[in-house]
Amino acid sequence: MRLLLAEDEKDLSRALTAVLTHSGYETDAAFDGVEALEFLEKNDYDAIIMDIMMPRMDGIEALTKIRENGDYTPVLLLTAKAEVDDRVTGLDAGADDYLTKPFAIKELLARVKSMTRRNESYSSMKSLRVGSVTLNTEKQEVSSENSISLALKETKLLEFFMLNAEKELSTERIFDHVWKNDEESNRDVVWVYVSFLRSKLQAINADIDIAGEKDGSYTLRVL
Amino acid sequence: MSEESIYGKYKDNLELILKNIVGRINDYTDEEYERSGIKLHEHMIARVKSEDSMREKCDRRGLAQTPDSALHELTDSIGIRIICSFIDDVYENVRLIKSFPNLEVVQEKDYIKHAKPNGYRSYHMIIKVQTPFEDVTGNNPGEYFAEIQLRTIAMDSWASLEHKMKYKKNINNSDLIVSELKRCADELAACDVSMQTIRNLILMDN
Repeated sequence: MRLLLAEDEKDLSRALTAVLTHSGYETDAAFDGVEALEFLEKNDYDAIIMDIMMPRMDGIEALTKIRENGDYTPVLLLTAKAEVDDRVTGLDAGADDYLTKPFAIKELLARVKSMTRRNESYSSMKSLRVGSVTLNTEKQEVSSENSISLALKETKLLEFFMLNAEKELSTERIFDHVWKNDEESNRDVVWVYVSFLRSKLQAINADIDIAGEKDGSYTLRVL
Repeated sequence: MSEESIYGKYKDNLELILKNIVGRINDYTDEEYERSGIKLHEHMIARVKSEDSMREKCDRRGLAQTPDSALHELTDSIGIRIICSFIDDVYENVRLIKSFPNLEVVQEKDYIKHAKPNGYRSYHMIIKVQTPFEDVTGNNPGEYFAEIQLRTIAMDSWASLEHKMKYKKNINNSDLIVSELKRCADELAACDVSMQTIRNLILMDN
């Protein structure tokens, strides 16, 4: 699992990164809202931990922009004060949970765990759009000029790509995300399913494609 | 007294021209099979449009039932349908047919890349061939039209099943039926694309 931590207090950031890494999360540290958005443009995360009070761009503004971009990665807000208004504003802006400083590390870990677990059940939105292409996850159908049906894993894979358009996703990362509970598969399946999706995108005259070589990283591009 | 054919004195030519085109398609198909073991088509249907359907079509189009209507105004007196296993084979057939000498493509419609709104997929070509026979406009050697439809087995099975449904467009749930038939077309298209991709992956590994 990969986390983004946005926290401007250097000491706290360092301590949290150490604990999270130790707990098995790959963690990137941003020190303000602008930097957090830059990280999100490049990478995908399973969850974001974000301080509200940060220089350049505060956590609420960054969170609002993240949601405006159609990114529904779970966000845990860290609030300095126990003000009710602060928490309400944060939740309204699209936060999934909040934690008031000072907090116990144990509780932070428990909340991150709960948030990423919850995400699995309702992360799928009904329909996603990138370029001229619409993915209907409920009907397992992708359409542009034509429409075509998708298998379940093709739908999950395309959804992952569309939520992370223009980002480089490694074969490993894709396999872990889409085939995580599938013990019968190995990583070769990623290349095969990327090939299926490429053909299907062509078949509907899509203006997006998936760049990348076998066993390497792949990027969904708008042409 | 027997009624004169709508194709007039050109009737016998149509069968000969049809046979010639089919022969040329079979020739390149045999050559490819010798060379690579690939069967470029699964089967082929070739026919001269029957008297009755040609007369009926003239009526429908508001044309007189004459040889000129049948052979000059309409273009499907000669019809060939080529059914292929894979999508790429459809395009390979199109490429090879276009390379025939004495043949001009008058019209092409790629309903595979641009499926019809109801989900219909197929590749349509209207061709004009030069023949050693006189044609209805008096040219000798003359030119005759033919229509060629190319599609995969899956596309063909959808088209023939959809054709058999003959559902009434004004019944209550017709919207549902239309959208479900389209879903079937999209699912069959998904199989076609997947099978093609699997074939490509196998070819790549060999």
